[in-house]
Amino acid sequence: MADTSGGWLYAVARELDTDALAGLRGVAGAPVYVVRDAGLAAVVSAVDLAEFGAEPLRRNLEDLDWLAVTARAHDAVVTTVGAAAQAAVPLRLATVCLGDDRVRDLLARRRPDLESALALLTGRTEWGVKAYADPEALASVNPADTAGPSGKGGAGTAYLLRRKAQLSAREKAERNAAAHADRLHGELAALATAARRHPPQDPKLSGRKGWNVLNGAYLVDDAKADELAAAVDRLGAELEGVRLELTGPWPAYSFAGIEQGAEQEPR
Amino acid sequence: MSENAHRNELQERIDADPETVEKGLVSLVLTIVELLRQLMERQALRRVEDGKLSDEQVERIGLTLMRLEERMGELRDHFGLEPEDLNIDLGPLGPLLAPE
Repeated sequence: MADTSGGWLYAVARELDTDALAGLRGVAGAPVYVVRDAGLAAVVSAVDLAEFGAEPLRRNLEDLDWLAVTARAHDAVVTTVGAAAQAAVPLRLATVCLGDDRVRDLLARRRPDLESALALLTGRTEWGVKAYADPEALASVNPADTAGPSGKGGAGTAYLLRRKAQLSAREKAERNAAAHADRLHGELAALATAARRHPPQDPKLSGRKGWNVLNGAYLVDDAKADELAAAVDRLGAELEGVRLELTGPWPAYSFAGIEQGAEQEPR
Repeated sequence: MSENAHRNELQERIDADPETVEKGLVSLVLTIVELLRQLMERQALRRVEDGKLSDEQVERIGLTLMRLEERMGELRDHFGLEPEDLNIDLGPLGPLLAPE
């Protein structure tokens, strides 16, 4: 490999069906290939270090258009690898090694972590469940409570009473939403091998209305996937004012567990 | 929201053209004023709940807060800001102001 190119890593897999990767192109349109080290297969593509070396990469990661295209290409390869392997640990965006030998070094060095992550992921799939709460339904606001004057006092007193009703309705809604979210997570986590709560999504980015009160990821046995979907349907119908959204299957980004400091609640 | 609207919003956050900077400064100042207004309002509600204020005092506090809110609305309109523009994302601590 020439000095000016490096290897961009997508995922580390076990029992990878390489035929499924034929013709697959990754970041910057480069074809992907496999680097093996005793049972572990890293899926890599060559990248130009002028664009993907440490310094230019840092700059490029702040360019949202560049980032979107790169992230989509990365995710497409990770998804394909996930479908073509017994288990695959997805790597974070922008894992670049300077040459195939370095990739093998990485596999050897992180072997215990990678193997335990692969063991955890085998036969299991990551699903996402998001809960969106409708504040008004949760507060069950009675319009009469906020309608205004209760007899005595003038406009100022009426204003204060109205504000008080609004604020306490909001507090009630927040308490209900938090209680619902805890219950949801508890019930869903009981079906999962591992579960994580991610920070709620910014409505500006997700473009969805309502509070995102739960943004959970669940690693579920493939045999239990139907059970999870049924639980989401049931809980969605049971909890008033809360809308549930089941997404997946996802590459197991939340449970790869090879990043330092990644929090996980094994069950 | 369409994908385009997202993009524009994101770009607005990081572009440093003079107009954006001015709008950013105005919304920062108004956010602080709004924070103070909400704190005062909550404090007033607490005092009213304590029941130690006379009806007349309650009415006066209510009127003052009501006018402050109206004035705030006028200022927002003047600068073309929506209520949700007046906030600061404090990252792990959440937003500075609870959404109304």
